Amino acid sequence: MAAWVKGGATDADAAIEAAASLLAKARAPVIAGLSADVAAIRGAFDLAGRIGASVDTAGSVGTYAELGALSRSGALTTTPAEAVGRADVVLVVGAAAWQDPLLKRLIDANPTRGRAAGSERALLAVGANATASLSWAAEGGLPEAVGLLSAHARGHLAGDALPGQIAARLAAARYGVLLYDPAELGEAGVEMLQGLAMALCETTRCFTLAVNGAGQDRAVVPVSAWLTGQAPRSGFGRRVPEHDPWRFDAARQVAAGEVDAVLWLASVPVARPDWLSAVPSVALVSDAEAQSAEVVVAVGRPGHDHGGVLWNEQRAALTFRPAAAPSDLPSAASVLRALKERLAKSRPASRSDSAC
Amino acid sequence: MLSVIRGGRVVDPTASRDSVGDVWIEDGRVVDPPGREPDAVIDAAGCVVMAGGVEVHSHIAGGNVITSRLLLPDLYVSEAAPDGHPFAHAGGAAAWIGATYARMGYTTAVEPAMPPTHALGTQLELADIPLLDRGALTVMGNDDQLLQLLRERQGGDAVRDLVALSVAQSRGLGVKCINAGGASAFKDGALRLSLDDEIPCYGLSTRQIMGSLLDAVEEIGVPHPLHVHCNNLGLPGADDSFMATLDAAEGRRIHFAHAQFYAYGAVDPANPGTGGFRSAAERIAQAIADNPNATLDIGQVVFGQTVTVSLDILRQFAGRKGAKPKKWVLNAGDAEGGGVVPFLYRPRGPTSSLQWAIGLEIMLLSTDPERTILTTDHPNGGPFTQYPRIIHLLMDKSERDREIATLPGVVGERSSLPGLEREYTLSEIAQLTRSGPAKLLGLADRGHLRAGARADVAVYRDDSDRTAMFTAAKLVLKDGVPIVEDGEVVEWRTGRTLSLTVEADKAMAKRADTYLTERFGEGLDSFAVPDAAFGEGVFEEVACRA
Repeated sequence: MAAWVKGGATDADAAIEAAASLLAKARAPVIAGLSADVAAIRGAFDLAGRIGASVDTAGSVGTYAELGALSRSGALTTTPAEAVGRADVVLVVGAAAWQDPLLKRLIDANPTRGRAAGSERALLAVGANATASLSWAAEGGLPEAVGLLSAHARGHLAGDALPGQIAARLAAARYGVLLYDPAELGEAGVEMLQGLAMALCETTRCFTLAVNGAGQDRAVVPVSAWLTGQAPRSGFGRRVPEHDPWRFDAARQVAAGEVDAVLWLASVPVARPDWLSAVPSVALVSDAEAQSAEVVVAVGRPGHDHGGVLWNEQRAALTFRPAAAPSDLPSAASVLRALKERLAKSRPASRSDSAC
Repeated sequence: MLSVIRGGRVVDPTASRDSVGDVWIEDGRVVDPPGREPDAVIDAAGCVVMAGGVEVHSHIAGGNVITSRLLLPDLYVSEAAPDGHPFAHAGGAAAWIGATYARMGYTTAVEPAMPPTHALGTQLELADIPLLDRGALTVMGNDDQLLQLLRERQGGDAVRDLVALSVAQSRGLGVKCINAGGASAFKDGALRLSLDDEIPCYGLSTRQIMGSLLDAVEEIGVPHPLHVHCNNLGLPGADDSFMATLDAAEGRRIHFAHAQFYAYGAVDPANPGTGGFRSAAERIAQAIADNPNATLDIGQVVFGQTVTVSLDILRQFAGRKGAKPKKWVLNAGDAEGGGVVPFLYRPRGPTSSLQWAIGLEIMLLSTDPERTILTTDHPNGGPFTQYPRIIHLLMDKSERDREIATLPGVVGERSSLPGLEREYTLSEIAQLTRSGPAKLLGLADRGHLRAGARADVAVYRDDSDRTAMFTAAKLVLKDGVPIVEDGEVVEWRTGRTLSLTVEADKAMAKRADTYLTERFGEGLDSFAVPDAAFGEGVFEEVACRA
């Protein structure tokens, strides 16, 4: 069991005590990362609710490109297994999605279910230097390219150039799929891509599919929604969950000097942000090093050291992963519970108690 | 510990009881008067004592519910809510759902739409709803695996084994089919589907799929009959779909979800799409009276902003043009997927007023309230928080008249509601909200106050303002423990999730594993809902019928 306080090795109990005292002193703490199993994500929200922290995720750039567009104009989506099973045309938007493991599954097989079963699957590309039936470099930018495709699909533009050809190919598809990485496409681009799918669905079937981003954001979003009624990037400082993507952006908060402590949760390894070193911090991580934070507790990796519920990319669903190599490392959920118990004594538990 | 709820008006229609008396409780169960002194006395003078309410159809968990929160972040925002739980005051959150039901005297609630592909997520969400016992219905009827079996005519045993496996894997409490074949047809370009239309690529019809599920549910001995969401929801002429579906059941047990949305007779049968609708409540009520094998829940409409959530993606796609505000989500998922379309039942609008009238009409025309269960299909007809108001309207003709007087004339022209004199009694309300739903789910120790019943009890102050009376119970006991006092949550208890004990056939499990691995790249294990993913003692087993 590994734990460090200010770089010095110690045991987990002493580190948890140090973490609790660091958080107890904080007036505006942040819990960030949340790259963890469902039990730990729940624990993070629970702790945030008790100590009035705000919450942000490791993959929030992509998550916000999606959620922002979703709450403004909606979405038309499908799943990886339906794309593999049914799609006769796949438009890959941008360069990042080409790196996703789903691409290989789409290239290796043709559709087997539905009205496109038995046909050859065509891959089209926008904004990437890729081998595809139709490939448009779209040097003017991705959102602009999607906007042009959408204008063609709606009949507002016409012509035989590449955007017109791609739009026509999508309109002729029986089950089209628009594959993209929201972090690359950005919020405006995602919104236009949803508009493209909606326009195409007036006459055929076409759905969007986002590739997975960093961390366990796909697990955090539903857990946050059922626990707090809201998407993440929420704050609990007023003892009422408040959803505000701008205010509770951890990077922005740190840069603005609004934060006096951070708890970084990443039992599923994910890159640590630079801003973490700018504030007193606690790290609950599975790839722990002495210098990861002021207080570091090495926790087990879910699905490896202990069982846990994680986002399953292939199935686009939550799945329980048993321990592949059980160890005695504590789970992040158990450390969060221990922190909550220690902090509950020093913090008011409900709105009727004073928060100050 | 022995306690007694003393001197209240005890309303338990299953024992023909509606009189002032006592209810004795020991170790979380109702007991006969034991002839010894109680350890605790709860004074219920001036109060009405009923079993805890049982909900059969309310969308309280799952992918669509989550999406609705993301699509409409502002829908439920509320700071006025119970204290003592960090999230209960967050409108729409799991803790808010549990607290709001409990305050109304409900102690059990069932989420009617759990797709097997997302069973674990749905079950984790349900487990986070405090105070109540929960359950979920496993949805089948659009998945390729089942449709393949039927297309290849593999026989009833194979279908039964696949249904049993799906319920066991997802830990459902029953089985539901939603516009069977409709989601599949939508993905292949269809825009509507009726009972005998051919579903593209499979050569099947809704009648065949539903019929096979009706048989499977009986053979397995699922206590809850097949829970059916018919074709053509909400369309003028949908009453024909309802009747055709009832006929297709051929005497087998069947439950009709949100029947109000099918009680729409076409004004001009030659042009059902343009002539509008009139109430078909009498037709539906008569059909239920004539068919003791059938039950329904209402799906009562209430005025105001809501969001419709459904796995019927064929219907939700058609409904997208009516979205208000103008945004919607549709997911062509692994079987049904889901559709989320915000909707405003316009206060005093002609269409919404007629819908509102039809739901009340079905209940007021019912010859058997135990088979006519109160729901709003939360949030599709409106939020479940409106139950007290609906009960008030059922119990009070003058209150109904006052509301009807504010509504457009279409209510009187196209429904019989204004002329209905009936006022529900407290016993009938208990049938509508307690004994009926408990019997329907096959939960023999709920919905009544006879000896042996679980001590889930609601005590209300008797008040002619039934809205106030049923909104905030004076006392609610869950398993004998007070969870609500004077309308406030006093004990944040964790309930249990009810799941059916079903034996899965090993050969079918092996076949399913192969099929799923081929389709998803992962086998049956990745669809599991294992105890290890939950805290201790979350699930409670419910036995199949002998």
